[in-house]
Amino acid sequence: MGKTRESAEKDVEHIDYKMVTFSLGGKDFGIDIMKIAEIAKFGGFTYVPNVPSYVKGVYNLRGDIISIIDLRGMFHLPVPDTESEQTHNGLIVRVGESMIGVVVDSIDKVVGISSTDIQPPHPIFGDINIKYISGVVEHDSRLYIILDVDKVFSKETPPEPIATRERTETGAPPGDVPGPVRGPTDMRVSDTAAELGFVHETLATFLRFYVSEVNSAWVEERFRDWRTNRAGEASQLKNAAEAEKFIAPFFSPHTGEFWSESYASEFSSIIPETTGGTITVWNPGCGKGYETYSLVCLLREKLPNKQIKIWACDIDLLSISTAPNLVFASAAAPDYFDPYVHESNNGCSFDDTVRDAVLFEYHDIVNEQTLPPPDLIVARDVLSFLAPTDQKRVLADWFEKLKPGGVVIPGTHERLPFDEGWKRLDGEICAYTK
Amino acid sequence: MRVEYINPFVEAAYNILKEVLNAEVNRGELYLKSTSMPVLGVAAIIGLAGDVEGRVLIDMDKPTAIKIASAMLEGMDMEPITELNDLGKATVTELANMITGQAVTKLHNLGFKFDLTPPAIFTGDNMEVSNADVEALIVPMEVPQGKIEINVAVRERT
Repeated sequence: MGKTRESAEKDVEHIDYKMVTFSLGGKDFGIDIMKIAEIAKFGGFTYVPNVPSYVKGVYNLRGDIISIIDLRGMFHLPVPDTESEQTHNGLIVRVGESMIGVVVDSIDKVVGISSTDIQPPHPIFGDINIKYISGVVEHDSRLYIILDVDKVFSKETPPEPIATRERTETGAPPGDVPGPVRGPTDMRVSDTAAELGFVHETLATFLRFYVSEVNSAWVEERFRDWRTNRAGEASQLKNAAEAEKFIAPFFSPHTGEFWSESYASEFSSIIPETTGGTITVWNPGCGKGYETYSLVCLLREKLPNKQIKIWACDIDLLSISTAPNLVFASAAAPDYFDPYVHESNNGCSFDDTVRDAVLFEYHDIVNEQTLPPPDLIVARDVLSFLAPTDQKRVLADWFEKLKPGGVVIPGTHERLPFDEGWKRLDGEICAYTK
Repeated sequence: MRVEYINPFVEAAYNILKEVLNAEVNRGELYLKSTSMPVLGVAAIIGLAGDVEGRVLIDMDKPTAIKIASAMLEGMDMEPITELNDLGKATVTELANMITGQAVTKLHNLGFKFDLTPPAIFTGDNMEVSNADVEALIVPMEVPQGKIEINVAVRERT
């Protein structure tokens, strides 16, 4: 007896999260109960012109005018045919200061769970963009997807291009607004958007390559080429090998090898003029160090009187372990290396003047680290392999730490967001200043 | 963390554990962490200063600590312990000292100068350690007595 009571108490103790559950397009969802103002049945919305199709209109809730959103429309889930147009099941959700009415298929019940049981969403979730999901939880052998209300309705997320495009193509749900008749062309564009969305997810899953404003222009263009070249075949990326093939042209020139003379001289022209006797460089994502050593040699040549300090790091332990004592064949080295290389039986290596200029670290740039402010950040094809939130954070950190007049060099196919203050420099190599 | 520092710590931990426990030691995959980390229950900490600043934490749970201390004591023909008493704590502290000492010796031979602080030991439940601005290298070690984590957080003096 005592034992059962104890275990019952233990169960009660564990329930620290309650959610209202409901179904959308036949699937189970939940929203944190603290975000719900009330559960309601409503209908007779007042139509608002020129809004996205998932906005049903506005509604007078006892004197307060609230917007009504159809989550099924927002998430592209099917609307059951049986539903009458008169009354809808809905929730009134609190988002910050305001209330929003949400139309769903049906309200289920309130479920109490332990927040430790909530599991993070899997990166390849189907219908709903993963950023709207705060987790997944199992209760009573049903799986509930917990929506993050603040993210779903936050003002500043202009849903990314795919979603927007898809939405305009989907048109209004029947019976609501006299939308354009959906022809085959519309369908095709919408398919493309969905496929491109799928490509984004595949790249993130297989290669941890995240599409964001840093690289979306390239990915879209690459996807068009990819489709054209694979006419007749499925354009989706089915496995890691295909994802790698898709991404192969993305990498900057001379990835994983020494920089050629011509690339180095082009690069040399964008090195900022610095005052003081030292030039400090950050080189995240240095891999085996080929890039870093090329950088030291060209900086030595260009700035013979300055002290060079390069902080190079990578998250791949195997690659970076070999970097401090890199040995290579003399044929692999371009001519401008000559003064700094000595040859031995095992192959060529760099002399101490070059080696002492670099400090290789096993480091994840997502984690904070204290380094002296840099004149130059060489981070080719690094940002694209960080999750979008980390990209933003790392960029903000660079913007703060970079010395005035300093230069950031992302990958050849990467673009830094202009609205955050980055200015593109003229020239072949993609370089930015603040 | 500077690449040159990694191997000495990994090798030292491996050598010392193998030597004092006289048993098979398996190294897990190394990884980096920067958020606050739970401490398993018994943690010996040693500070580092000199060319770098930071600390080494040798972390294990209590049953593992008792078994390891017992194994070390038996190796010296002493009675094994059944609870984590002063002798047990001193033994675990000594293990931390040996590992860090050997690592620092190796680093010294490579030309890096480190000083050590005397070790201290923490025991308790639900402990966390956090150094938000230094990321830690975690070296997990599997020994027959259980799991030991060597948690190294050092950074260059700038």
